[in-house]
Amino acid sequence: MTCRTQSQAIRSVLAVAVLAATSLLAPSLAFAVPSFARQTGMACEACHTVYPELTHFGRVFKANGYILTNVRQVRDVSGKKEELLSLAQTVPLSIMAQVSYTQMKTSVPDLTAAGAPGVAQNGSAGFPQQLSLFYAGKIAPNFGAFFQLTYANDSGTISMDNTDLRFADTALMSDNHPLTYGVSLNNNPTVQDLWNSTPAWGFPFAASNANVSPLAGTAIDGAFAQDVAGLTAYVLWNESLYAEVGGYRSAKQGSTNALTGGAGPLDGTASNVMSGVAPYWRVAYEHNWKAHSLEVGAYGAQFRLYPGAGAPLEGPLNEFKDVAEDLQYQFIGDENIITVGATHIHEAMTLAPGSAANPSDTLNTSRAWVTYYYRRHIGGTVGYFSTSGSADPGLYPAEPPPSDSGVAFSSNPGVVTSANGSPDTRGWIAEVNYVPWLNVKISAQYTMYNQFNGASKNYDGVGRNASDNNTLYLLLWFAY
Amino acid sequence: MQDLKKARFQMTWAARVMAIAGLAVIAVGSAPARADEIDAAARERARLVAITVCGTCHGRTGNSTQPKFPRLAGQSANYLAAQLKAFRAQTRGDPDAISYMWGMASELDDSTIAALADYYSAQKAEPSSNALSLQGGTGKQIYEQGIAAEGVPACSSCHGSDAHGVGDFPRLAGQHSQYVLKQLASFQSNMRNVAVMHGVALNLRSPEMSAIAAYLEAQP
Repeated sequence: MTCRTQSQAIRSVLAVAVLAATSLLAPSLAFAVPSFARQTGMACEACHTVYPELTHFGRVFKANGYILTNVRQVRDVSGKKEELLSLAQTVPLSIMAQVSYTQMKTSVPDLTAAGAPGVAQNGSAGFPQQLSLFYAGKIAPNFGAFFQLTYANDSGTISMDNTDLRFADTALMSDNHPLTYGVSLNNNPTVQDLWNSTPAWGFPFAASNANVSPLAGTAIDGAFAQDVAGLTAYVLWNESLYAEVGGYRSAKQGSTNALTGGAGPLDGTASNVMSGVAPYWRVAYEHNWKAHSLEVGAYGAQFRLYPGAGAPLEGPLNEFKDVAEDLQYQFIGDENIITVGATHIHEAMTLAPGSAANPSDTLNTSRAWVTYYYRRHIGGTVGYFSTSGSADPGLYPAEPPPSDSGVAFSSNPGVVTSANGSPDTRGWIAEVNYVPWLNVKISAQYTMYNQFNGASKNYDGVGRNASDNNTLYLLLWFAY
Repeated sequence: MQDLKKARFQMTWAARVMAIAGLAVIAVGSAPARADEIDAAARERARLVAITVCGTCHGRTGNSTQPKFPRLAGQSANYLAAQLKAFRAQTRGDPDAISYMWGMASELDDSTIAALADYYSAQKAEPSSNALSLQGGTGKQIYEQGIAAEGVPACSSCHGSDAHGVGDFPRLAGQHSQYVLKQLASFQSNMRNVAVMHGVALNLRSPEMSAIAAYLEAQP
């Protein structure tokens, strides 16, 4: 802990929590892409109930590396019938756009007049909130890709979004059961997962980025999305039993070595740099019968981080050990589709001296949701979310970290703080969707907080209630 | 991986994709192959494609448990081949054919179609686990005798008394009732444009279709 202040260390750990919390309610969105439909010749409904939720066929397609193709190929074959090249004559590109409008129940203070009655504008239009370009499909005979390049209105820049490169193959076991095996090179733990009950692809599939996010979130819940490179190996036996192991290492976007100006190596000027490789594991079992599908599974990871942020990459580490369970049930009929999803993540934190108020903390996140669609046109979801854990005023502070804002506060503006140091946040999300065509969705979503950063009333100590952060979010979401 | 079959039984996904795309070594547009003309390599390719691609929906042995996807085990090879060619030509127009099979069959060559049809026709049709134990009633009566007053002929006259299919007429025994119902509706509306079945289904009422479908699913 040489050469670093306690506030820097706290900010460093806080950054993990805040990143995770941000992703919890404003996930980096990814999507089912029409380029898959062009490649397979099948309609969206083969792989999706309604995007981005996968059907059994969609899960198998993903496990097989996105390479199933039914279009004419440009090919090259050796004299020994070895396939050297197989290129689709149509490039598997797609675009996706989200246009949104966000209205909070109560606006946030205007920082130029913190302590004064001024408030920020309430009613934020995102036009677009997000615009993405995808390459999604086969690259080579056993090699496929899901690449997403995204412009987001909050960053105002274009950056790499969810990415999953796969090598996969299938062999027949002696009893004629198929065994699919492969490796995934990806940039977001669980983005490679096959079910929609894990963080990267779980509900809500879209959320506002113009709202107030709670302070706490577990590390596996998107804290490292697009900031890591992971290599995992998996098997899927008989399209039902799934097992995966792998590891992640920091791969920060937009970060350069201060001395050389190169894209690496990372040094102590960066924050939350992984020590070694963070192990990741996943097991799941899916049973299909009639029009039903039921999956139960577990997953986890262990992230050991150098706090960095001005301190050398050495010494005590902040450790986040996550173990989670998940469940998904689907009924897919021609008229009615019902999905139930749930996950519970338990996180045990061991924190370096100066990084938090406590040497160790726990954090638990639970989410559950039920979705119904009628003829894939009209539907809705009701979901419950809850995050709770140890109170730690170091991690969940009563005042915003001073350097996180370019503005010197004349008084504590609250809103993104916790007066009692508790991370506890819970509430409901209700969403109605209209899908006029299978690649166009219009949504209205309302998020209601019963508790926010540790309390339901005056959670920030300056008068803001949890319900003040309730958010109405209107979305036009389409892809082509 | 020790349990894996010998190398000759293995095929890369690429090769399967190649096979299903009909881009292997077989010329597109060759004359339809008879079962006894399908060579061993084509049979093996078809087996792998059937289990690892088609099987995701239709079941490894064609005994699908999902009512959306028809059971293919024990189906007439001629009928299967004709349907795959209709999907390929986009002349079979019921909704699920358009959504799923137009794409899946688009690049199949005749030889692969023949081998796939042969694979499924050789599989043992297992009783449907979704079937109601219906052995008599309206469904049986219509199947065996038709409805003379409505001009509906007996189904058995073409599909066989045991509903196992005759020649080009498909097997119906054990088929998902939901699938049979959707097909009858598609024949009736001409979305699936088959003149003979349009005539048969035209005067069938919904309860009668349901009775026939339930009866057929219960047949061994």
